[in-house]
Amino acid sequence: MRIGFNFTLGATAPMVRRLIAAGRIDYVELLVDNFLAVPPAQIAAAFDAPVGLHIMFSKFMERPEAELDELAMRLTAIIRETRPIYVSDHIARFTHRGRHLLHLAEIDYPGAFERVADRVARWQDRLGCTIAFENYPSIMDGGRDAPDFFRRLTARTGCTVLFDVSNAVCATHNCGLPFEAWTEVIRSARQFHVAGYDHSVGQPPIVLDTHDRALAADTRAALALCRALVTDPEATITYERDDDLDEDRIIADIDTLRAVMGREPAHV
Amino acid sequence: MSERRIDSDLLDHLTVPARHDELGVGSRAWVRVDTSLRIYWHTLFDICPGLLRLDGEDGQPSDGMSIFRPFMAFAAERGLSFDWTYYLWVDVWLQGSGFRDRVDDDLRLTLIGAAAARWAVTDRSPAVGLVIGTRSADRGPLPLVAGWKPADLEGGREIETLELEDPLPDPATPFGWFTTTTWSLDHFPGWRDLPL
Repeated sequence: MRIGFNFTLGATAPMVRRLIAAGRIDYVELLVDNFLAVPPAQIAAAFDAPVGLHIMFSKFMERPEAELDELAMRLTAIIRETRPIYVSDHIARFTHRGRHLLHLAEIDYPGAFERVADRVARWQDRLGCTIAFENYPSIMDGGRDAPDFFRRLTARTGCTVLFDVSNAVCATHNCGLPFEAWTEVIRSARQFHVAGYDHSVGQPPIVLDTHDRALAADTRAALALCRALVTDPEATITYERDDDLDEDRIIADIDTLRAVMGREPAHV
Repeated sequence: MSERRIDSDLLDHLTVPARHDELGVGSRAWVRVDTSLRIYWHTLFDICPGLLRLDGEDGQPSDGMSIFRPFMAFAAERGLSFDWTYYLWVDVWLQGSGFRDRVDDDLRLTLIGAAAARWAVTDRSPAVGLVIGTRSADRGPLPLVAGWKPADLEGGREIETLELEDPLPDPATPFGWFTTTTWSLDHFPGWRDLPL
């Protein structure tokens, strides 16, 4: 598998370039909607590596149609220029009764299926490409409906799944969804995410997808299962880190990830 | 056997803290909402730590709850969004609270700058810049605050204060704002009111 690292905003660009130069990562995942005001040609030229485009706040299920058209126009310009190895997005609730949520909410999978499928199909049409949608780090019991939802959604719309391994591990801890319940989804997925998680302050502790620390032992075990199920050498897995951006610790984790999932580093 | 709860069942509790304890202290649902509310707290006080000194004893920082709880209730009553205007609504609430006389210009500018910064990293419209103005009749004149989206991958959002030779008219409401789709401010399209 190809190993990547997420790039969200400016300050980590030099570190990302060092990871590329050392052969530790094979591509860079750009949180692309952070860069909508940057000329597409500059985005394409930013790193000497292929890119994946990860969309965080399209809010494609909630945003008015005219705004989506306008957003799609700018995203497609970036897609044309960067020729990404994938485009991915999120299925979640960003608002409630018109109020913005700072901690995204999980959808009601069975109740929302038809509406989500319709919006996913239209969002793919607008962007002119297949989109990989990420699974949510479930806390409540509704997370148990997620694997079946993604199976139905991919069959209905032709979209794919960006399978976030650590999000699925969070769901295992929080709502008892067995990791093996995702087996069929994992077999069909070509894009993966993984990161560290932490426990909540409140009791009883829940597990939160924090992107701020090393991969946990159970996440590494889940990665090994994924590795056994995914045979496509062009499949991708992005190591996400948004806090505690210590380069040595990040390198250690990426090397661990490569030992489980990928080829040996090119020239470390 | 415990009740099956899905995340969508908690949406009102996520934005109305007074309903938090309805979920049962010590339940997974309570912790899920507690975790979310902590994000609202950190989004405010991590960016504007000066707020913690408004009600601290002997100048020591407090836990901020004498601001956070009543403000969240105020926001719930009015259905305020927690988008980039979050910080501006906190200022609006402060001006009507017992803290009013302890809120100096520096703290107000921190709140306004935080709003501009949040707009610059969360807005997905074609606009590249935002300008926020205050009504000088309320607390005296403050400079305009502008926020700019990242113009390249290496940089980040930029915040600046503006002192114009020819001042703009006061907004009709405590805050006015406008956006621009170019990287220069060469015209004034008029103030927009603070949205709910």
